[in-house]
Amino acid sequence: MAIQGSPLAQVLAYQIPRNSLALLMVAQLVVLAPLVIHVSPWIVGVYLVCGLWRWQVYVGRWNYPVGAVKSLLVIAAVVGLFFSGFQSYSLEAGTSLLVLAFALKLLEMKKYRDAYLVIYLSYFLIAIAFLFDQSLLLTCYAMFSLIVVTAAMVGMNQRQAKVRPAASLRLAAILIGQAIPLTLVLFLLFPRAAPLWSIPLPSAATTGISDRLTPGDIANLIQSDDIAFRVMFEGNVPPQRELYWRGLVYSQFADGTWTMNKNAKPQVSLGRQGRGTAYDVFLEPTQSKWLFTLDTPVEYGRRQQLLSDFRLVNADPVLSVLRYRIVSDATKILDPSIDDALRASETVLPAKDNPRLRAYATEIYERSGRNASLMANVLLTEIRKSPFHYTLKPPQLSPINSIDEFWFDQQKGFCTHYAGAFVFALRAVGIPARVVGGYQGGEINPVTGHFVVRQFDAHAWAEVWLEGSGWTRYDPTNAVAPARVERGLRAALSNSDRTSLSFLTVARLDDQSLFGSTLKFIDSLEHLWNLSVVGYDVAAQADLLTKLLGRVTPVRVGLALFVGGGISVLLVVGVLFFRRRHAARNAAEQVFQNFCAQLARQGYDRAIHETPAEYISRLGTIAQINPKPLILQLHAHLYDPEFESNRKALSELRKEFRKLRFKLAFSTTVQAS
Amino acid sequence: MKAAPGIERRGFNAWLARRIPPSTRITLSQVNIFIFPTRSGFIFGVLLLTLLVGAINYQNSLVYALVFMLSSIFLITILHTFRNLSGLSLEVCEVRSGFVGEDIEFSVRVERSKGEGREGIEIGWPGGYKQSVELFDEQATTVRLYLNAHARGWLIPGRLLVETCYPLGLLRAWTWVDLKAQGLIFPKPIFDQSHNSTLSGQRDDGVLVDPLGSDDFVDLREYVPGDPIKNILWPTYARTGELAVKRYASYLEPRLWFDFAELPGDAEEKLSRLAGLAISATQSEREFGARLPQLEIAPGIGEMHLNAFLRELALYGHPR
Repeated sequence: MAIQGSPLAQVLAYQIPRNSLALLMVAQLVVLAPLVIHVSPWIVGVYLVCGLWRWQVYVGRWNYPVGAVKSLLVIAAVVGLFFSGFQSYSLEAGTSLLVLAFALKLLEMKKYRDAYLVIYLSYFLIAIAFLFDQSLLLTCYAMFSLIVVTAAMVGMNQRQAKVRPAASLRLAAILIGQAIPLTLVLFLLFPRAAPLWSIPLPSAATTGISDRLTPGDIANLIQSDDIAFRVMFEGNVPPQRELYWRGLVYSQFADGTWTMNKNAKPQVSLGRQGRGTAYDVFLEPTQSKWLFTLDTPVEYGRRQQLLSDFRLVNADPVLSVLRYRIVSDATKILDPSIDDALRASETVLPAKDNPRLRAYATEIYERSGRNASLMANVLLTEIRKSPFHYTLKPPQLSPINSIDEFWFDQQKGFCTHYAGAFVFALRAVGIPARVVGGYQGGEINPVTGHFVVRQFDAHAWAEVWLEGSGWTRYDPTNAVAPARVERGLRAALSNSDRTSLSFLTVARLDDQSLFGSTLKFIDSLEHLWNLSVVGYDVAAQADLLTKLLGRVTPVRVGLALFVGGGISVLLVVGVLFFRRRHAARNAAEQVFQNFCAQLARQGYDRAIHETPAEYISRLGTIAQINPKPLILQLHAHLYDPEFESNRKALSELRKEFRKLRFKLAFSTTVQAS
Repeated sequence: MKAAPGIERRGFNAWLARRIPPSTRITLSQVNIFIFPTRSGFIFGVLLLTLLVGAINYQNSLVYALVFMLSSIFLITILHTFRNLSGLSLEVCEVRSGFVGEDIEFSVRVERSKGEGREGIEIGWPGGYKQSVELFDEQATTVRLYLNAHARGWLIPGRLLVETCYPLGLLRAWTWVDLKAQGLIFPKPIFDQSHNSTLSGQRDDGVLVDPLGSDDFVDLREYVPGDPIKNILWPTYARTGELAVKRYASYLEPRLWFDFAELPGDAEEKLSRLAGLAISATQSEREFGARLPQLEIAPGIGEMHLNAFLRELALYGHPR
């Protein structure tokens, strides 16, 4: 079956059609747009230069770069990548590399093969954008990109002289539309699998709370109104002041910074079963493994693990929205007794810093009769009584004796300041205490009834180990700004603090405004999206399959896939092969055909032998009107090829037919009654 | 796709002949359309697998959705690619004869069924250039396909390839149809003046043809309406009152007889020389015939005779 054209014919056949080339370049732009914020600006610059060059080639002003220039560009790009800090693999590095390859490919996009490479890369980049963001908005945009990229592929196979990007786009949209039912079936039924191997960690900075806590940290987070996670409670929602979303435990202190104990072991004393508050969390990507829960998780998923400091971690870093179900039991006693090793690690402090607070702590420890609980309360009273201020903009502190400076001199701080000083004071006298980081509160979305916890809900508090009651939560911020815990951040902020927040954050904090409620509505859409699509994982699929099939066996799943897929494909077969559309000669005939179809439904079928005039006359007799003008009007237009453009006459014709139809409907009811 | 020589190829052809029997008009349907992914289609499959692994490893629902969407598009495209060929009718409407070494024109009429237009279809003979076909507003079109003729006799181009990769280039639908097309190929003519002159001596008695317009006076006859006025013998008319016209006549150049045996070269070369002689003779409006082993071509004159003569040469020694 050797079919060989002449060399010239082959060259022509393998050239990219111009129509498609233009679409291809647009598709590239569309696909790259959402990735721009994830790659270095210079890479965007490279893309723009290459794009301009290719455009000049397209319009015939410039030539393709010669080999030496291309090699130089590639070398420069690799060097650039290296100096952008992408020496090791990460999601961002990979993305940058792909985008760069994408840009350089522009300069040698001549042949059929090159175009397909670019198209496939485009699909790949759409997928990569999903790794960074899974919002409803991005998904809508991705659908648009999908149409444009597919249109470029359609254009590659429409070899015609006329440039018709609109036709390519239309066909691409039709293809995608027809693929939707099958996509849904596959999405719901195609078996999901657990990760095959561990993936390289993105080097991207973690978002949200980090595993190091310096006093200024959380104050910066407050500036952000990004969503940390959403929560759906299954039963009663605990009161706002109880919503302490525990995520990180900081047990080490040095140079003014609290850090996490990296060597926490799996928790063994608690089982995986229990009663309490049940809820589903939809955690936005953090690139970290830690999860946020209420005290204390007694039931959780298989891929989650409770550690010895009672924080829950995921098996893999959370790179896309993660849904996990938790049952928390607030009455659980954590560590009824502690061994010496734990006591030592939870009381350790650097040798000698912050001497004033150490001295002060010893003093009140003695005063409270060496009672840990009493001492904690004395500290809280101190915070409440002394002129401490709660502010987002605390003054700068020196790194060495920062806690002394805060406690005795400035007395202005944020939750991290208070929690840090509180724990430091207790540790100074040998009481096991630690700083806990997470989120506090959240707001309910009245539309869907879920809770939204945002970055500005980030909070730090303290845990103190007490004889008999184990680890006990103390929130020193509550002492200085009780409103923060009772009613959320908005109530606790002074006016000067609020001016430092972004416009959107203020709008979100103010739930009375129209804008605020619009944002809530959008958020509820986003939540439903997470609930039904983004959060559709192995567990959700298992649920659905059980509901659908009763017992989940490979044969049944296969059968369901086959039946569902078969129906979706048959739908398209029906549309493509069996849709009998009597092609109308012009718009007037179309109007008449629609009229006939509507009347057939009303019971006035047009007989096969009837001409339009005879049909309308018959109907006119029934409706008791003179059919002549309408017949003349129809005849005047029926054979006019230019009629399409005469919008006024067209709408008049429609109106006349509608009148006749109403008259008929009326006369029918009269006859019936 | 290289032609597999020998028995396998013959087996394939036999199967194809059973599957799509030769016919002058063939309408494409699921019986005779094959469909298979192209190279781009297979690479697309690799892309899908890569994305699927990504979706699994990153546990990303939307990447899953993208994989499923692209797979569905691929599956739906099978229908579109098939539909682009399905319902097309093909027939060969005209074949021009020609000489060995020329490109022979085959006109193939492609007609579509009602409904959506067709585009991105290519048709061609094995060994010929492919032509692209589009049918949008029109219901049918005629495509001219050319095939180089290598040998005299019937040029049977074989099965016509009809293929399309529309709309995405991921799948190729194709068929091989035998439209029973054949073109007559005459021997490539060799013109040689020297032989022409020697052969012209071989003559027999000429035939007296209609004498009007010649110079040699023969006799008189009665006027018949339509005779040229200048031929009327006016003195006779004056004398007798009867209209008589002069008859003139010329004998034709003697008939040419071309003898196969006397021509130089091997059999094919001799046929080529015969073709050349016949063409020259027709150009100089001579009557000619030829004697070949086991075949005598009766003398004749004019284009029709030349065509018949060349046809005899083309098929000389071939089964009819």
